[in-house]
This record gives sequence, C-alpha cells and structure tokens, in this order.
Amino acid sequence: MDRTLTHFIAALRNAEVRISPAETLDAMNAVELVGYRDRAFLKDSLALVLPKTADEKETFDTTFDQFFSFEEVAGQTVAVDGDGDGEDGEGGGEGQGQGEGLGGGKGSGGKGKKSKYGAVEEEEEEDLGPGAMAEPRSALARLLMQEGTTELTVRMAEAAEEADLTQIQVFTQKGLYTRKIMDAMGLADLVREIGELRASPHIPERRLAQELKRRRDWLRERVRDYVERQFLLHADATGRRLREDLLQKVKLSNVEHRNFRLIQEIVFRMAKKLVALHSRRRKVFKRGQLHVSRTLRHNMSYDGSIFDLHWKSVKVDRPKVFAICDVSGSVAAYARFMLMFLYSLDEVMPKVRSFAFSSDLAEVTDLFERNRIEDAIAKTLRDYSGGSTDYGQAFQDFRKLCLDEVDNRTTIIILGDARNNYGDPRTEILKEMYDRSKRVIWLNPESRNTWNVGDAEMRKYSAYVHQAEECNSLMHLNRIVGNLLRTVA
Amino acid sequence: MADIEQLAESVDSLKASFEAHRYICSNQIATAVYLAFHLRKPVLIEGPPGVGKTELAKTTAEMFALPLIRLQCYEGLDEAKAIYEWKYGKQLLYTQVLKETLDEVLQGAQGFAESVTRLHEFGDIFFSEEFLEPRPLLKALREEDGCVLLLDEVDKSDHEFESLLLEILSDFQVSIPEIGTVKAHREPPIVFLTSNNTREISDALKRRCLHLYIPFPDADLEQRIIHARVPDIPPELRRQLVTFIQELRDLDLKKVPAISETIDWARTLLLLHTESLDPELVRDTLNVILKFQEDIENVDAEIATLTNKAVRADGVGP
Repeated sequence: MDRTLTHFIAALRNAEVRISPAETLDAMNAVELVGYRDRAFLKDSLALVLPKTADEKETFDTTFDQFFSFEEVAGQTVAVDGDGDGEDGEGGGEGQGQGEGLGGGKGSGGKGKKSKYGAVEEEEEEDLGPGAMAEPRSALARLLMQEGTTELTVRMAEAAEEADLTQIQVFTQKGLYTRKIMDAMGLADLVREIGELRASPHIPERRLAQELKRRRDWLRERVRDYVERQFLLHADATGRRLREDLLQKVKLSNVEHRNFRLIQEIVFRMAKKLVALHSRRRKVFKRGQLHVSRTLRHNMSYDGSIFDLHWKSVKVDRPKVFAICDVSGSVAAYARFMLMFLYSLDEVMPKVRSFAFSSDLAEVTDLFERNRIEDAIAKTLRDYSGGSTDYGQAFQDFRKLCLDEVDNRTTIIILGDARNNYGDPRTEILKEMYDRSKRVIWLNPESRNTWNVGDAEMRKYSAYVHQAEECNSLMHLNRIVGNLLRTVA
Repeated sequence: MADIEQLAESVDSLKASFEAHRYICSNQIATAVYLAFHLRKPVLIEGPPGVGKTELAKTTAEMFALPLIRLQCYEGLDEAKAIYEWKYGKQLLYTQVLKETLDEVLQGAQGFAESVTRLHEFGDIFFSEEFLEPRPLLKALREEDGCVLLLDEVDKSDHEFESLLLEILSDFQVSIPEIGTVKAHREPPIVFLTSNNTREISDALKRRCLHLYIPFPDADLEQRIIHARVPDIPPELRRQLVTFIQELRDLDLKKVPAISETIDWARTLLLLHTESLDPELVRDTLNVILKFQEDIENVDAEIATLTNKAVRADGVGP
C-alpha cells in the first residue's frame, strides 16, 4: 500500500510540488490513520500534509484525481467487459464509456471512428447473431477471451517492462510505446489468428474473429491509457525540462508562438526564484550608535552596571527598481519578453515601477497590477508601441515623471537597443539618473558588435550606466538579474 | 481528556461538534483538526482575511474545553516576549538582599576559595524557575492538561522568530540555556498558526505543519454560516444577501468582502428590520461590506443589477 503512496508522491514531484522526505513520512502516518477506503477523506487528509501553498493545492487536486482515477476506470472496464461477455449484442449500449461499440453487428455506427486504429477494418461486419464460438488458439487470444482482466493486466505490465516504458520522454512517443507493448504481448499472432478465422467458412470461427477484434481494440485502448498514465508519471516533467532547457538558450526573437506560454512560466519562475534568493531583509548594525533603552534593559540583571552593549540596527529594505522598457518597432520581437519579465518581477517584488515608451514614456505599473499578463502586455504594446523611437523624449518624460523619487537605493533598468533615429540622445538626463541612483543597468537585445552601428547610441549612453549587457535569451536574463539582485540587495 | 478523545474520534463527530459551537466548517477544516489531534502536528492556516482562521482556533479551544493561549505576532517580536524572560526586578532585589547579608553568608569561610564556593550556591538560584517569567509559548508547554496555542499572523513576525518556532513546533519543547530543555507535559498543545500571506512562510516552518487553506465559502456553506451566526435573520433575506456577496466577490475589488463582513452586514440589515434587499438600502449599507472608497465607487454602478440578480435568484431558488 505504501508503494501506491510513494508512486503518488513521485507523480506529485513530477508535477512540481515540492515534497520532503519528512512530509512523505507524515503522509504515511496520515494514511495509516485514515486508510484508503474513503477517497474524499483521503484526499482531504493528504491535501493537508503534502501541498503547502495554494498553487500546490491546485496541482495536488488534479494530480490526485488523475492518479487515483485510473484504479476506478480499471474497475469499470472489468464490468464493461463482463457485459460484452453476454452472448447477445446488448452490451453495446452500455459500453459507450470505452467507445468500443461492443454491440457486434449492431455497432456499425461506431465503426467509422474505429477504423482509424484498425487498418484491418476493411470489410463490412456481417451479422452473425449470437451463438457458439470456436476456441481461441494464440496466447493473447486466450487471455483476451478469459473472464476477468487480472492476468491480462499482469501481462501488460510485463510487456511494458520489456518495452522500457519508464524511459518514455516526450508525448510523441506514446504511439510508439503502445505499439511496442502490444507487440510484446503477441499482437502479431493475434492478428494472424483473426485473419485466419475470418477466412474460415465456419460461423463460430467467424464469430470468434469478430469478438477477438473487438477485444483487441479494447485492449489497445487500455494499453494506451496505461502508457498515458506512465507518461504522466515519468516523462511529462522530464520532457518539459528538456524543452525548457532548450528554450533558455534560444534567442528570444526566434521563439515560436506556441512556446510563449512555457516561456512565460519559465520567466515567472525565474523572477520568483531570484527574488526569493535576494529579497530577505537584513539587519545591519550601526556600530557606534548605542541602543540606550535596550542596553539598560539587558543590563538590569547586572545590577545596572553597563557592560553588555546593544547597538542600533537598521533594516535594509528590498531594492527599489525602476524599469524602463523600449517597446518600439525595432525591438518588437523582444519587447514582449521584456514586458513579460517586467510583469513577473512586478508580481514577486513589491517595489517595482515599470515604464514603457517608444517616443513618449508612460508608467505602466498600474496597468500591470490590474490586468492579467496577456492583457497587460497587449495593452502596453497597443498603447505605447506606435511612435518612432526617441530616447531623448523618453528620458525627458522620465525626468518629469519621477526622477525626484530616484534615490540612492534605487536601481534603474533600461531595456532597449538605443537606436535613436539620429535624434538628440539627451545623455545629460541619463547622467542625472546615473548620479542619483544606486545603479543604472542597460540591457540591450542586440549583440555587442552591432551596438554602435547605424543610429545606435550605445557608445554615448554606456558612459552613464554602471553596467551595459547584451540580453537576448532567458539565460542572459537569468544571469544578469541574478547579479543585479546580488549587488543591489 | 476522555471527552476530547471522543469528540475527535471521527471527522463527522468533529464537524457536528463544531456546528454545535456555531462554527460551520467544511470537511477539509474538520479533517485538519482531526489530523492535528491524532498526528500531533501544528496546523498552519492560510487564506484571505476574514474567513475564520482565528475563529477556528478559538472554537477548537472552546469545544475541547481547553485554555486558549494566544500570541499575536508582529514585527520585532522576540523570544523575550514569546518564550520567557528573567524577572530582572526580582533578581535585582535579591541581589541587594544578598549584598546586605553577604557578611553573614561568608562568615567563617576559610580563605577565598571557600567564599567563592559559597557564593556559587547563590548564583544558580538567580537563574532558576523562581525567576523565570514564562511567556505564551512556555506557558503553553507547561499546561498540565494540554491547551490550544494560537500563533496569530505568523507572517507579520521576522524570519528570526520563525526559526525560533521550529523547535517548539516539531518537538514541543524549548531550550533555555540557564535551565535546560522544557518539554511539554503529557498532553502537548494543539497548535494553530495563521497567516495572511503578506510574505512567504519559510519552507522549514511549512514542513513541520499541516497546511490548511481556507478559501471563501460557497453559497451553500455561507448561508449555513449566516444561519448559525445570525439565527434571527429571515431565510429569504439570508439567501439574497449571500447571493449578493458571492456576486460581489467575482468583481475586481481591492478588498473582497469576507465572511466576517457578510455576518456584519446580516446583523446590520437585521437591525434595520429589512425584509428584502433593494438598491437604495444596499447603497446605504455598502460601507459595512466594502472597506475602500474606491471599491464603493466601483460597485455603485452595479448595485441595481446585482441586487436584482440576488432578488430574482431568490425567487427561482428553493
């Protein structure tokens, strides 16, 4: 029984719920107390022991349902199979759960659907009616015709082992593994037998052929389910990790649209991790300033002689970040990701103010707070990406808007390619920002050797930033932001 | 103790008993208390403000007839206020007394070594239980028959304090350097921690706790809660106001009304002898459920629609 639990915990871990060994022990204690009998009770109990955040609870819910529903489906399957064993074709109506059209000759409606797995399905089924059937010969056929599915399940598990199912990595392999398992179970013999039986002149043999075919399809479905489940347990996360690793290295402008969602998750997780790492508030002791009341209190026990000194301390707050993002046409491919990162940072860090501009600069902090990420990004791009790039204007707007609030604990991050359309770069404002803030960091999506080509003003600007970095993949972003928070926090 | 065992025998009996104490809870909540009792683990309760996190601890204490020891957490809370402190004044006083009687004590002592030995006997006295001022956590451990310990709003305390809690949460003991380790008596306390999620609680703390998340209740549960808390309110009005609140929670608000607000509103409406919701009345009493002017302004336009919806849903409903 504990094996079920450890498997379940493995599945949870795959779904990115962090579970420590101590919690596994707790879960075992809880299960011992609660038992497996009452499903809802079990779920409630495990939900208290294993997942520890609201997000994890949600994941837990789906994983629990997925994991423990299989047992139920298997139970049903046996029942449906029992129905099919009734010699008449009545089972068809009830078998709909399995979608197998159990109703023999009557099942013609469901056949169009079936033919997509069964290539053998070229002939019309003849209505043979109920009656005696011949004896099956091949091993698999005999298993299939047996009452109950225990042996079949055991055989399936063995076949899965032969096929190394635990090595499955990506979902496209599901078909392959289904095939492999079927083969290992002796599909070839079965197909041959069905072929021979169909060609036979005797009705009981043809009847058996029909029955076998029906059961073969049912078996295929079961194997597919089995593979699906194993895939979810073993591979989903591995495959995902593989894709995530790849995405980290790809240039952001080359990421395909369908991967946006995944990128978004990576970015969010990254931002969260970075912030969690660096956002702890620290106490810094100001040596030299005595905390008088505290010292007196602590020295009371020494008869008022003051020899255990206590110093004043200050708490160092989390860094204040101003992020300015260029969303004009020249960086369109990157703007989305920069905004995504900005948004995620905003969600996990309390003091981020975000600005967007192409020519005029505006604050989007509020917009980010009120909208979901897709909407926020879409709205920002819609409202601010129209004009042609003008860094001079943007800096001027920034000065007007909030330069007063920049203090020596502030970090300013500028995301942009510094392509100013040969306009006035207004470096003096950047200098002012540089002087006032703790740090100015410029992240440029272009590669370093094009920084000063054409209308790019990076050379002028880089004199007034503490750090200028190339940033066009998630890996870059991760590294830079990591450094940033380390030096700022 | 026998009563408690009996009460905590099953989740259903716990639930029934909670209801008898006018705390209507979901299966999840009852299961949490059940597991907390049987596995001897603290429960960390999270959820939006006003869903009854603190109330759960209070009701549990009441139900088990155990004393409730409550520690309100805040920034800067340290062990001197949470676990123990030495009674400095008393120590000081005794030092004075000792000073005056020092001659007597040391009389007849042969040489310096013996004097010091005699003095040493006093040294230990000053750091004994006599001079110990127990604070909530230590008090909870020393309760003979167990108790309910509530650490309210743990998220408001500092990281350091969280680490301080680890020992007491996992082993029900605290170490006092001068005395040694104080362990819980026969019955360890049932511990509840609440958090409003103003910051992430550390993994180490979470690992030692059962984690209970209390969301806003569904309409059905909320009606039963209102019924238990404000029994005098007519059923139609109860249905209407719960429907209204549930709709309100779907809107984009700065602070969503919680159960405590629903209860307050129900009491208000009862006081005004209301029979049925109407837009005018809702507008006048909106400040009971919404706590930000911004929210009130936002909702103002929707009041008529929402009220109609609530009243109509009532007509169709059972």
